[in-house]
Amino acid sequence: MERAPASHRSRHAPSLAVVGAALWLLAVTAGFAVLWRYKSTPGAEGVAPARWPAQAAVARSERRATLLLFAHPRCTCTRATVAELARLMARFQDRIDATVLFWTPRDAPPQWNGTDLWTSAARIPGVTVAPDTDGREAARFGVATSGGIVLYDRGGRLLFEGGITPARGHEGDSFGQERIASLLTSGTADRADAPVFGCPLESESPVRIARAGQSITYQGGKR
Amino acid sequence: MSVAMKALERTQAATEAIVQRAQARFGAHRQEILRSTDRIFAWLLIGQWIFAIFIALTFSPYGWQGKVKVVHMHVWIALFLGAVIISLPVALAWRRPGELLTRHVIAAAQMLTSALLIHLSGGRIETHFHVFGSLAFLAFYRDWPVLITATVVVATEHLIRGILWPESVYGIPNPEWWRFLEHAFWVVFCISILIPSCRRGMKDMQVMAERGAELEALSENQWRKSSVMDRAATDAGAKG
Repeated sequence: MERAPASHRSRHAPSLAVVGAALWLLAVTAGFAVLWRYKSTPGAEGVAPARWPAQAAVARSERRATLLLFAHPRCTCTRATVAELARLMARFQDRIDATVLFWTPRDAPPQWNGTDLWTSAARIPGVTVAPDTDGREAARFGVATSGGIVLYDRGGRLLFEGGITPARGHEGDSFGQERIASLLTSGTADRADAPVFGCPLESESPVRIARAGQSITYQGGKR
Repeated sequence: MSVAMKALERTQAATEAIVQRAQARFGAHRQEILRSTDRIFAWLLIGQWIFAIFIALTFSPYGWQGKVKVVHMHVWIALFLGAVIISLPVALAWRRPGELLTRHVIAAAQMLTSALLIHLSGGRIETHFHVFGSLAFLAFYRDWPVLITATVVVATEHLIRGILWPESVYGIPNPEWWRFLEHAFWVVFCISILIPSCRRGMKDMQVMAERGAELEALSENQWRKSSVMDRAATDAGAKG
């Protein structure tokens, strides 16, 4: 094949470069769209019992509200939730007793919970950490996704359920935080839930988890 | 033609020659800066891509579903989206250094890298400083429209994300349409100092080029005069 003369090549070069730039922009936009979709898709959500379950293994505070955060110890997305929990506790430590329950399979290796997530959560003032063997408590409270929170008042009435991050593994202000803050300061909020972003706690389907916890769960989607 | 007219013409021609020489010197210096800055950014973009992969592999290597682990989406995003972001600017910096399109694509890619790093670090506020560091680096071009391209990319990314997924940018569900301007304001604040600095840099380069051209002309003149005198002295010596 004959090569185009140099003058032809130079005449077409700028337009080729512009077309290349447009294609590049399109590819970059598509890549960011995939990333945004991934980060903004909430995990499976459950329905927490309206009253504190009598058979719960975790003790409920009778002096202040009780917050339970269910986390997968190896879910890196939950780092953002723990960071946001630290911020929440810095504001409301005198109004909340918080416990982080780490999903721990019965046959987990010895170092299963030896993660930075466990250490970070344990460092937050006013927060207790504990393992949740086989996710029994998570199932009882209808939480299927790491980063899921339930908040009960002193009388054991459900105040809030959901997540406290704006996206998957993303720090920053969120509906969940705003609603918890509003509930703790004024006693009301526009809604009592928020989407949860994180890894699924179980490898099984959420329906099975729901059955075990005697509550209804469904996959994804905002309520 | 009178002697005065001839002298005037000679002066005009000399001035014209100095102006042309100054323009050539300025053009060459500018090209050198643009090309070297393109090269710096090509390496910087490659370095940032490797850093993005390192962040993903270190902080979010796996996603979990119960006991099952899979490679985290961040790793693929860092690898492939990072590669796409740097592909064109690095290719242009290599094949077409110093061209207008090259530096504007580099500016856009640098801002997109900021967005990528912010996502990979989980939206940490500290990573947002990358945007401002990048603007300072882009000022190395001393070409202020490059800063405008960078600002437009940041503002557009915020505008689109603010419309499609407002809580990820503002943390509230129904922000006012102009909220992206609040975020863009700090970028504008930064470039409002960088742009005059770029313009001053260009002016300094121009002054340097003019002085250099004048000095060159002067030394050439001196050399010519001394050559004439040398020749005259040689001729006189030969006659004597």
